[in-house]
Amino acid sequence: MFRNVFAIAKREFYAYFASPVAYIAIFLYLVLLAITFFFKIPFLLPKEDFFVEKEASLRALFEWSLLLFTVFLPAISMRLLAEEKKMGTIEILLTLPVTDVEVVVGKLFGAVGFLLVALALTLAYPILLFAIGKPDIGPILGGYFGVLLVGMGYLAIGLMASSFTSSQVVAFLVAIVLCALFTFVDRIPEALGIRALEPLNAMSFSYHFRSMARGVIDTRDIVFFISIIFAALTIAHYSLSSRKWR
Amino acid sequence: MIEVRNLVKDYGTIRALDGVSFRVEKGEVVGFLGPNGAGKTTCMKIITGFISATSGEVKVASLDVVEHGVEVRKRIGYLPENAPLYPDMTPHEYLMLVGTLRGIGKDEISTRISKVAELVGITDRMGQEIGTLSKGYRQRVGLAQAMIHDPEILILDEPTSGLDPNQIVEMRDIIKEIGKQRTVILSTHNLPEVTATCNRIIIIHKGRIAADGTPDQIQSAHGGGNFYLVEIEKHDSMDLASMFSAIKGVRSVASLPSSTHIERLRIEGVENVDLRRDIFELCVQKGLTLLGLQRERLDLETIFQRITLQ
Repeated sequence: MFRNVFAIAKREFYAYFASPVAYIAIFLYLVLLAITFFFKIPFLLPKEDFFVEKEASLRALFEWSLLLFTVFLPAISMRLLAEEKKMGTIEILLTLPVTDVEVVVGKLFGAVGFLLVALALTLAYPILLFAIGKPDIGPILGGYFGVLLVGMGYLAIGLMASSFTSSQVVAFLVAIVLCALFTFVDRIPEALGIRALEPLNAMSFSYHFRSMARGVIDTRDIVFFISIIFAALTIAHYSLSSRKWR
Repeated sequence: MIEVRNLVKDYGTIRALDGVSFRVEKGEVVGFLGPNGAGKTTCMKIITGFISATSGEVKVASLDVVEHGVEVRKRIGYLPENAPLYPDMTPHEYLMLVGTLRGIGKDEISTRISKVAELVGITDRMGQEIGTLSKGYRQRVGLAQAMIHDPEILILDEPTSGLDPNQIVEMRDIIKEIGKQRTVILSTHNLPEVTATCNRIIIIHKGRIAADGTPDQIQSAHGGGNFYLVEIEKHDSMDLASMFSAIKGVRSVASLPSSTHIERLRIEGVENVDLRRDIFELCVQKGLTLLGLQRERLDLETIFQRITLQ
């Protein structure tokens, strides 16, 4: 089980670095992060009070990461299954003595490995903060943990989208729509002025992320993200196995 | 070894397989023959467990392919049509991946890789990206992948399609070598291929088995009558055609292009009767000089066309 998952994850991880898409995505992500970090462009950011001047925190960085991830991670996950289906390589993979579950989980972990590389490259910012000031470590650790969970959720959703189709473009677009929906759903009640819709906040990635970014690790938030990941993987698994009962 | 019973597969409203049954014994090299879209690939995909049948069952080594999918897949090496491989990997990396997923141990995997690489002749390309390899080499890497775990059963979907004539000959030699110790099912729409590599042919047409047997059996079962090529020294004023038609068992007589001295005829006779003696004796009786007499049967190519153009 673990051996197979690990072998598949490793293959996916290396496959990213065999194509320029990975480098371009990482480069764009880092450049856009740098722009917000140093120039503090508040457009698109959810709440106006995020920019308290002279605050030694990474809030802006995390919030901006969340937004970038809704586009950046679907671009990473879109190929996971769609490309294999298009090229036919899935036929060899699935006729090896591996289970569909191992394939789905392995693929997600490969993409998560890529996400970890991208996040590791942003560690320059907390290092910078510690060099010039005295930031509170709680929100930084919580923020990174939250960003990782959000990213894993996006990747799982993207993997699911990739399982529906053999077109990477379709997988990309479906994933963007779903990720954006999960991110911004907490703005809908506010925008429409309907308080009755407020329970929707509980489905929002940014809502759960924000409490973690304050440095508060609440099991409810963790359970939320794990449930989303589990649900997306389950659907991806059924979608992959559906070739057998169609 | 492989038992296929009453396999039916529908794709939407299209019936790709319509009640296919056959058995393959250990050590047989079976050629699936049929025009494109006949159901060969579908049948192979079901045996390998990639897709499931609408109804019917497949057992490999007495194990049901649906219930014991992983166990069955361990015993099979499969090369899908067009050898779909990851283009960004080198053959060595790819075989490493497949070997690992096949459960080959770390200490053993390198020797296995060099063994199969040598068998299929890719030793000198192990470090080159698969995407930059020629079709012939890719096909070989595909074959190496199917054999990495030394499987009892090999299923090869059109292993020679898209190869040039030299590569085809090489691929056939490799398959013949492999087939000595293993059960092999290969599909093709290339006839010389089956006669060169297989000891049994299954002709699939419109989702059904149209013929099943050794090339000899198929020729006698579907070849229609026997044909006799007769060469006689030219003899004026004799209606050879009607003369030979009088022999019991002759279906038709056709004259072939003749030279100035030799008359050539092609006589079709009924199945299972050898008319050579009758033809010879008639010639003696009429005082004709028989220069040549040869019996031939319909070649597989013609039989295949007869079956599949129906």
